[in-house]
Amino acid sequence: MMCANPIAWATLVDYWAGDLDDAETEAVDDHLFGCGDCTASSARVAAIALALRSSVPAVVLRSAIEQMRARGSRVRENGFAPGDRREVEFAADADLLIHRLGGLDLEGVERIDLQVTSESTGALVSDIESVPFDPAEGAVYVACQRHYAALPHDTVLSLSIHAADAPPRTATYTILHRFL
Amino acid sequence: MSMAAPDAELVRAIAAGDAPAAEAELCRRFAPRIRLYGLRHLRDEDRAADLVQAVLLALLQAARAGRIDDPERVDRFMLGTSRNVALRMRETDGRSAGDAALAAIAAPDQPLERIDAEALFRCMRALEDRARRVLMLSFNEERSADEIAAALEISAVNVRVLRHRSIGALRRCLDAPKEVDA
Repeated sequence: MMCANPIAWATLVDYWAGDLDDAETEAVDDHLFGCGDCTASSARVAAIALALRSSVPAVVLRSAIEQMRARGSRVRENGFAPGDRREVEFAADADLLIHRLGGLDLEGVERIDLQVTSESTGALVSDIESVPFDPAEGAVYVACQRHYAALPHDTVLSLSIHAADAPPRTATYTILHRFL
Repeated sequence: MSMAAPDAELVRAIAAGDAPAAEAELCRRFAPRIRLYGLRHLRDEDRAADLVQAVLLALLQAARAGRIDDPERVDRFMLGTSRNVALRMRETDGRSAGDAALAAIAAPDQPLERIDAEALFRCMRALEDRARRVLMLSFNEERSADEIAAALEISAVNVRVLRHRSIGALRRCLDAPKEVDA
């Protein structure tokens, strides 16, 4: 039997995002327990919500790397200085390859943007505004993941570093990936 | 016992005794609802699995003993039990104690859809940058719509609209057959 009064998709998304108040959440719970149709719809939102929850962002903080290691992820790390151009291997036994984009003075920095392009074609691969960073680290950590193999392997990573009362600075790293 | 029988008919059959097919069918119907409740409120897959086992055990014990007062609203019994067990699990901050009886319950094997990282990545790339940011802030960093609105300098209403449209777009992308090279 089809549900006569189905929960709106937008409400299910807010429910899984934790953005309903207690009364609204209880009302959704009440409906779901009595309705197989809406349970099926809720499961379709839940699958995406859980996948996003467990996904690894493209740029992470050092603390996140240590948490992933603590949970058993096999993390390899490579350090780069501005201007470096180097090949790296994504080993078959690695879950995550961290590119440490270092050599940065981040004192007083308010925002860092990351742009990734293909070295050979110049095509834009990714453009991320306001990436997370820890000024004391003097580095930005890019979390290269196995499914990035679908992207161009010859990447130019450009950081645009914005500090108050100063023109933006740029630091560029060329990383040539080999996925094993 | 017909697999199309109403929930109440299944509960009454269990109370009448020796109705393994009715027990299995009732568990099959409610296990996904309990699991989703657990995933939403306990935020942990192992604990959600424990919740399913504990609530189904309570259901079968109550049904066998004829202690479900209103079989027509067995869903209310399930929700109430789920709330109570989940509350206890949150208070103890751990998994439920082992119970040999739990192993006797054949929790139906209906796993939640698993979305692999590659498919999610492919579909996320088809979204606009702002939509991707809203989704990651919402579900990965677990920020509220108000917090995201402040960070992105848009209204909370816009965050919610962008979010449910983007989840819809992701859903359609994930459901579509993957294009293959000719």
